[in-house]
Amino acid sequence: MMRFLRLPFLSFALVLAACGEPMKGVEIRDAEVAAPLVFTAHDGTRFDLAAEKGKVVLVYFGYTHCPDVCPTTMSDWVRAKRALGEKAAQVRWIFVSMDPDRDTPELALAYARQFDSAFLGVTGTTEELEALKRAWGIAAYPEGDTRENDYTVAHPAHTFVVDVDGRLRYLYEPGVSGEDLAKDLRKLL
Amino acid sequence: MRTWQRIFVSCSSAAALIALAACGEKAAESASTPAGLRVRGAWARAADSGAMTAVYFVLANGGAASDTLTGVSSPDAEITEMHISTQRNGMMHMSPVTALPVPATDSVSFRPLGAHVMLTGVVRPLSEGDSVTATLSFVSGATLTVRAGVRKP
Repeated sequence: MMRFLRLPFLSFALVLAACGEPMKGVEIRDAEVAAPLVFTAHDGTRFDLAAEKGKVVLVYFGYTHCPDVCPTTMSDWVRAKRALGEKAAQVRWIFVSMDPDRDTPELALAYARQFDSAFLGVTGTTEELEALKRAWGIAAYPEGDTRENDYTVAHPAHTFVVDVDGRLRYLYEPGVSGEDLAKDLRKLL
Repeated sequence: MRTWQRIFVSCSSAAALIALAACGEKAAESASTPAGLRVRGAWARAADSGAMTAVYFVLANGGAASDTLTGVSSPDAEITEMHISTQRNGMMHMSPVTALPVPATDSVSFRPLGAHVMLTGVVRPLSEGDSVTATLSFVSGATLTVRAGVRKP
């Protein structure tokens, strides 16, 4: 009999433990409203971060010629989206190419959509991306001989997460599992 | 082991080639050189034709002597290089690697966010279920030809 009585308490304890599980991302203290992020995708879709309040927005600054880190991150996003189920409709997934010399809005969109049709891929001119870097306080620059097609681009490692109030709240390390990311996103929704 | 996981081994000595031929398909699946080098779990991400992708695997050295991986090549891409991704001060960088030691009785993992064989300009679309081939060359003269199955991006 005692064994059955313990079950509700055990369940309660497990729920408490789940609620208290720390976020996997790095929290930005005194988070402020994220800098502007406005792009028109190749298909004419306009994205304006300021208009996305009420949704959680994930932003990754990469490039389409990135064979390792960017696709790894996009694959983690795919798993996170899958784990979120219907809740994923309240999340926006934005890939920003920081390689204006090789990438076009068309390539950026195609790149993002090869991972998931809900992902948006955008890019801009060199001038637009320079302004974006200043506004977001990030860096991105080519490494290697840019006269060759196989140069690489150093870019921010983290996924930037903007909360439902438009504040830049969390940074996620590359390699965070999709499942862990989904758990955290649920808490932000 | 699936077909795409089979790793075909080529050896510099004719004797080894004859031995492999004699053992047939089963010997090819054994995936090791006479020096004890072995590759397992090879895979690559799907990619559009002309795009870039990476090949990942675990390279083990079961032999008594250390070796060094010094070259990679692939008929499936215009350029094939060893690269390593590193994170410094919040930035991701990718650097070419020209020599990668593989200590005796140890292994080296080619994995996402780390070392990988980078294929630049893949010569055909790579979809799930396809495979790509990469040949690894070592200081000792040994070579390993890896067939990597393609997974969804």
